[in-house]
Amino acid sequence: MSNDTTPPVRDTSGRFVKTAAEKVNAMSRTPDDGIHPMSRVLFGWTEKKGIGGIIFWGMAALSIILVLLDLIVPRHEKIGIANAVGFYALWGFAAFSFVVLMGWPLGKLLRRDENYYGDLSGPPADIDPAIADRLNAGEPKAFEGEE
Amino acid sequence: MMPAWLAALNPGWLMILVGIAALFIPYRQVRQVLTVGTPIAAIALLVMAPHEVDLLTAEALDITFSFYRVDSLNFIFGLAFLIASLLNAIYALHTNNPRQDGMALAYAGAAVSASFAGDLMTLFVFWEITAITSVFLILQAGTRAAYFASMRYLVIQILSGVILLDGLSYVWRYNGTLSLEAFQSFSDPGAIYIFIALGIKAAFPFMHNWLQDSYPKASVVGAVVLSAFTTKLAVYGFARLFPGFDALIWIGAIMTVFPVFFAVIENDLRRVLAYSLNNQVGFMICAIGVGTAGVGNALALNGASAHAFAHIIYKALLFMSMGAVLYRTGTTKASELGGLYRSMPWTTLFCIIGGLSISAFPLFSGFVAKSLTMSAVAYEGVSDPAMVVVWLMLLFASAGVLEHSGIKIPYFAFFGHDSGKRVKEAPFNMLLAMGMAAFLCIAVGLPAIIPGFGYQWLYSLLPYPIEASSYQPFTLEHILTQMQLLVLATFAFILLKRFALYPAEKPGTILDTDWFYRKAGYGFVQWSGTVWGKMGPATSTLFTRLSERAYKRLESAFSPRGEIARGGLSGGASIWTAVILAAVLLMSFLSA
Repeated sequence: MSNDTTPPVRDTSGRFVKTAAEKVNAMSRTPDDGIHPMSRVLFGWTEKKGIGGIIFWGMAALSIILVLLDLIVPRHEKIGIANAVGFYALWGFAAFSFVVLMGWPLGKLLRRDENYYGDLSGPPADIDPAIADRLNAGEPKAFEGEE
Repeated sequence: MMPAWLAALNPGWLMILVGIAALFIPYRQVRQVLTVGTPIAAIALLVMAPHEVDLLTAEALDITFSFYRVDSLNFIFGLAFLIASLLNAIYALHTNNPRQDGMALAYAGAAVSASFAGDLMTLFVFWEITAITSVFLILQAGTRAAYFASMRYLVIQILSGVILLDGLSYVWRYNGTLSLEAFQSFSDPGAIYIFIALGIKAAFPFMHNWLQDSYPKASVVGAVVLSAFTTKLAVYGFARLFPGFDALIWIGAIMTVFPVFFAVIENDLRRVLAYSLNNQVGFMICAIGVGTAGVGNALALNGASAHAFAHIIYKALLFMSMGAVLYRTGTTKASELGGLYRSMPWTTLFCIIGGLSISAFPLFSGFVAKSLTMSAVAYEGVSDPAMVVVWLMLLFASAGVLEHSGIKIPYFAFFGHDSGKRVKEAPFNMLLAMGMAAFLCIAVGLPAIIPGFGYQWLYSLLPYPIEASSYQPFTLEHILTQMQLLVLATFAFILLKRFALYPAEKPGTILDTDWFYRKAGYGFVQWSGTVWGKMGPATSTLFTRLSERAYKRLESAFSPRGEIARGGLSGGASIWTAVILAAVLLMSFLSA
């Protein structure tokens, strides 16, 4: 670590192990702000400015490339229509959009109040004890049938 | 060489026995050693077991029961169950709950025992044990909702068992045997009953709602355990008893499609996973239906088995990641989550690996498993135009899987709108279990750069390993078409999000077929109760009055003080009776 005062003449391999162990330890602990150090390594890129645009145009370009590749790669589909250029691309796009857009009318049709069946209850008993006390305050511990 | 008693020990029985013992062991460390060690020992037993031999039999009432018989079909299911059980045990290490530990082990053991059963009666017994042991995993949640859900679950599971028993009685009565031979048609005695019994457990359309009702209400660990066994045991049952039944093709295809629409509007992410489970089982059921129809035979049954193996692991992984979120935040509602990657980066990573696997991205397990099924269906499509429709349905559902499991689950839990929740990363044992599952998802999905590893390892375990070895999932055209499907679908998501066309996650209850018994049926019973409550006293008053009146009439006629007993009339009546009797006797004597 930065405040390590061990003289540099000492056994360097031992120091390397020690630094590595300290680093791993630091990377596996969540500080008080609740932001895990690993999150910056793994997903820090999602917070970059303009990343939305990059992903959007990147995916658009990738989509076009994949469809164009269809012209080069020979295909031997068992099912006739699947041989059409960009068939899978179109089917995937259309299916996905259809499913999501159907969410609007279906949500209106099928969504009811959260307590519709009258059995709305909190989280299960085996959640983190640190938050269980806060969430279950005042509620009986376990339900074992009507009195 | 193993001693004879050890060779005859069904790994499932071992797990049930240890599971029951674990219920009474108060020492946490001892239970931890047992719950992790037993599946490992069971895997060793299974790997060493000889195939196609009845390893343990018994005879009673002229029936030969075969308790332990391994072959190439049930081996892969049993192995997947045991691996799942090991992952579950590691996932549960942070808990201290003897009932949950014991029942989880016994439940897995019952599923393993049922898959190695060599006759219908043995299958039935362990079929029922899976129902009884698993209900405790829902009850462990300790909430009011879980209590009622577990009761509904139990009723439906036991109903399935009773129908199975009914079916096997027919088989015994007409065939004089209980062997696990595949049925030829629905007109075979008992076939339709056994089909329905398996169908309930496989969560066929309209019989599916016990799954979405109960699994999401189970405890954190319970939902992970539940996701692996019951439905896949039913899939095994179909592969064993009903391969090539055309009905399964359509049932399976419908099963892949309809849950997709429910998953998109569902807010509880564990419930989304339950719908996703339904959709995945649909692929397997469809493959089994293609089963024996021509050359697709080996390909399709291999597809169902490979899919079951891969699915058990990636579905467990997804349930584990949502369990970790639930454990730390107390909720899995999409409307209350978001931005958790900041606090739970490892869980996020593992969840994404599960999502990529279930969506069948190349290099992940779903790709090498689902390809077999898709190819088998496409193969049938050459000669049968109806199969083209089925193929298109499965392809549609593949885009749907990407929507709810590949994108919705990770996106709304870990990214999307930041909920502001800052929590700790999941406990180490949870991360370890998720890491192992994620490793398997990738290891099984890789190309066989080293022969025998990667997807070839999975293919070598399939029911028809020789046919499987000639199948090549990593062809350029296959990778290209799969990437087209998935990338364009993902692009659709980005586009819909950008133009705010993606429906927002809202809290609420989504109606499904359970409405019929939870609202309509319950309402009817309540109404009948009210009606009876009012009608009961009224009818009994009416009845009392009527009987009183009738009694008075009879009494006034026949009693010693009655009309008939009065005066000389009785003497005259007796003489006339005697005269008529004499006449009747005389006539019968003369006519005889």
